[in-house]
Amino acid sequence: MRISRISAVALAVAGSLGVAACGSSSSSSSSSSSSTSSSAAAATTKAAGGTVNGAGSTFAAPIYQQWSSNLKSQGLTVNYNPVGSGTGVVDLQTATVDFAGNDQELLPKDISGMKGPVFQFPVAFGAITVSYNLPGVKSGLKLTGPVVADIFAGKITKWNDPAIASLNSGVSLPSTAITVVHRSDSSGTTAGFTTYLADVSPSWKSSIGAGKLVKWPVGTGGPGNSGVAAAVKQTTGAVGYVEQAYALVNNFTFAAIKNSTTGQYVLPTIANTSEAAAGAKVSPTLGMVTVNSASGYPITSQTFIDTYQDPCKSGGASSGTAAALKSFLTYAFGDGQKTLGSGSGQIPYAPLPASLAAMSNAQLAKLVCNGSPIS
Amino acid sequence: MEASATTVRGDRSVLERSPLGRLPDRLLKWGLTALAVLILLLIAYFFIRLIGESTTSINTFGLSFLFRNDWDASRNIYHGAALVIGTLVTSGIALMIGVPVAVAAALFLTELCPRRARPALGMLVDLLAAVPSVVYGLWGVFVLGPKLEPVERWFANTFSFIPWIGGGASAITPGNYFIAGLILAIMILPIVSAISREVIATVPSENKEAALALGATRWEMIRMAVLPYARPGITGGAMLGLGRAIGETIAVVLVIGDAPTLGHHIFSQGYTLASVIANEFGEAANVKIHASALFEAGLVLFILTLIINVIARWFVNRGARSMRAARGGSAAPGGDVMVAAQAAGVGGAE
Amino acid sequence: MSSGGMSLSRLPEISARRRRTDKVMRASLLVGTVIALIPLVLIIYYLIYKGLGTWNKNFFTTDPNGNFFGNHGGIRSAIVGTLEIVCLATLIAVPAGIGVAVWLTEYGKQSWFASLVRYFVDVMTGVPSIVFGLFIYIVLVISHTGGSGFAAWKGALAVTLLMLPIVIRSAEVVLLLVPNNLREAALALGAPRWRVITRVVLPTSLSGLITGSLLAVARGMGETAPLLFTVSTAFVLTGNLNTQMNTLPVQIYNDIKSPEPSIVARAWGAALTLVALVLILNVIARLIARRSRLG
Repeated sequence: MRISRISAVALAVAGSLGVAACGSSSSSSSSSSSSTSSSAAAATTKAAGGTVNGAGSTFAAPIYQQWSSNLKSQGLTVNYNPVGSGTGVVDLQTATVDFAGNDQELLPKDISGMKGPVFQFPVAFGAITVSYNLPGVKSGLKLTGPVVADIFAGKITKWNDPAIASLNSGVSLPSTAITVVHRSDSSGTTAGFTTYLADVSPSWKSSIGAGKLVKWPVGTGGPGNSGVAAAVKQTTGAVGYVEQAYALVNNFTFAAIKNSTTGQYVLPTIANTSEAAAGAKVSPTLGMVTVNSASGYPITSQTFIDTYQDPCKSGGASSGTAAALKSFLTYAFGDGQKTLGSGSGQIPYAPLPASLAAMSNAQLAKLVCNGSPIS
Repeated sequence: MEASATTVRGDRSVLERSPLGRLPDRLLKWGLTALAVLILLLIAYFFIRLIGESTTSINTFGLSFLFRNDWDASRNIYHGAALVIGTLVTSGIALMIGVPVAVAAALFLTELCPRRARPALGMLVDLLAAVPSVVYGLWGVFVLGPKLEPVERWFANTFSFIPWIGGGASAITPGNYFIAGLILAIMILPIVSAISREVIATVPSENKEAALALGATRWEMIRMAVLPYARPGITGGAMLGLGRAIGETIAVVLVIGDAPTLGHHIFSQGYTLASVIANEFGEAANVKIHASALFEAGLVLFILTLIINVIARWFVNRGARSMRAARGGSAAPGGDVMVAAQAAGVGGAE
Repeated sequence: MSSGGMSLSRLPEISARRRRTDKVMRASLLVGTVIALIPLVLIIYYLIYKGLGTWNKNFFTTDPNGNFFGNHGGIRSAIVGTLEIVCLATLIAVPAGIGVAVWLTEYGKQSWFASLVRYFVDVMTGVPSIVFGLFIYIVLVISHTGGSGFAAWKGALAVTLLMLPIVIRSAEVVLLLVPNNLREAALALGAPRWRVITRVVLPTSLSGLITGSLLAVARGMGETAPLLFTVSTAFVLTGNLNTQMNTLPVQIYNDIKSPEPSIVARAWGAALTLVALVLILNVIARLIARRSRLG
């Protein structure tokens, strides 16, 4: 039948395309987490080859994606899908990924949905900037926490509102309307930002509250940190909460937020972020609420990697994938940390303070596969 | 063709076949029947699953899912009136803008256009259906939206006294109902136009010639002879366009602003049933009530398109049937005008 | 109107008002047609204007990478991934769809069962494609069927569900157009049923079948929603259908949300690629349809 001939030809063409493309690709093995033959057999060097799949936070996506690029040369394939912290957690609960990027510490309801005990590893810190698009107004517009809360609650609607003007005497503010931009998806960045707002504004706390997904009273939704950044970029008069790296890459103008303890207006620089990170209070499970420390940038957020304590038993991962996961995490708390910082060529996040990195490494040693430690 | 068909073999009629010879026939028949049954079962399972997953939400929220406005994922409360209204508003805008343009184009192409240009121009309009949803979204976000913003601003300022359309420039957001409706209008153009063309082409030429012979101008001929006969079919086409617009997900989610509240006018952000699924399903998957609510949104969408499609089909075929009867001729082979249009490649919603 | 009687008296003059109305309305119809054509022109213009600049050898031979600085890579894995998934979907949907259409026209005909099948297939065409993705997600992804979570073959199944009704309906239209006397002649000459189908019906309608299938393939290629929750995404090129894979629509969808100009430019380039592929398929399909004896 001619049709089956055509189909056969199509199959052959597609197949040869696929094979040719595979053959020429520089990245090697693409073993899935279900490979029955142990992909550890394919690992000839110390760094195990293999594929690790992750998803979640857009806050930290630039980190994991850059590390993925760096690790390709070691034969380790890391796929990271920036779908937002909420979705990342769900993906880990359904074990469709090996690790989740999550900016919020695991809540009881997150843990109860998991297939087994989980670890959360702090990975880095970043500032949540309040970025605005106001031609003529430079970075460093002074804002206090309560004022920010009122802006995002829709109570302050114009840029030259007295509440803002009184804090910025030297700056000429236009009468442009404020367009609030927030996240439309479930986001750890939202969780961090709203936690801060709930801390500084009792009315925010009672009417809107904090969490990965809240009911914003005003504003447009954008998907992911990049969606919010894109919306801010496109709209004059827009204000949105955007993770530091996204703001820096786009040369956004952002506000200097008043640290209620020191009374200083602090800009979201890496140095100020690290300062806040150093004062972070950590729980025994390595969790922490948004870092609202006594010094440094007030809206600093941590970001975690969540995995199963036993990815093989709980997540159905093969031993090869578990080894790859461990390699990835070893890099994350080791050489990976050196890629973070404010230097040229570094990804603009604040690395873990040494004590926290040590705690992460100690917890990493407890990662097992079907009960036995991973080499 | 068997050359031996003309010879008689033994005392069996040459046209009888041995049981073994009938085997391939039997195999084919039962094989294909099994395939059809399989497809039917698959589709049935699909619907059963869709309904099954929605029951939790249906039981919890009942009718207020559709009629109350309070979609709050953080409290796990899902009353989707804002979504339903958003869906209806964007589709309504799409119809109001898209149908007149599509019908005008259809009329032009069938009645006024020089014959040689007709296939090429027709294909160009149909090609709009080939553009993927995500490309419409890309174009909407970076081209149409920014370019139309000054127009929206002017409109909102000039007509600020009209509720829901005006409201002044302060309420304009980059993603809003209007842009979504406009993009949807472009997306339904090909299907409404294709069906209208099919329907207009079946108007009996005797009617048209009679009008012209009586001294009507071309426009009067269209108005008297073509439109009345074509109206049911065109209505059907418009309803199919509506069905398409209602289910459109990806292009809309990129340009509507994604806010689960009810925007105060057409230039503010909103949400539709389809786009909420795209945005929220990721984190809903493991939260039973949230996932169920999103499935229910899908079910509502699906029932809406089902009803609209059924009504549309009835309209289109009623129109086509009456015209064929008027012509007194045999039914066009393969009858269904809409299927023909669909075979022309103007299809469903993404 | 005519003045009655048998005389072919002069028809009343067309008044200036009527002439004006006619001119105005005809111009409006022309304007309407031009308006209908403008979006296509604008879309293609902007695709070329913003996307063509990204087309270079690297764009098609490198995969997207996660580099924060510098070169963000091309779209090779997206193109190959789309081809792999769509090929798989086509291999299932086209034979199955044509098979069901053959059954409907040759065996089922007007029976109640055939009407039921037709009705269900009709109903399928109205389902928004994201619902197919959800269905596959619930049935195959969460349950880790095949040992994987997100996987390319599961996405291909979602695309198959989308393509099936299109193939079935368009194939049925074309098969019904085959004149019955051709079938009867073959049967009268002693050909068995299956021979009639394979040697007479299918070859006669072949160009129509190809047209319908190509249009379904073009549709399947451009869909994003069925892939979002079934295949997820990946950077690297892979031939393994049981794992996450990159695809053009999902790549574009993700890149749109980025504020980085070079990534948005990549989205335009990828969109241009996708539209080029889809338009080529569409044009070929329509040309075949036009050439066909039955079309």
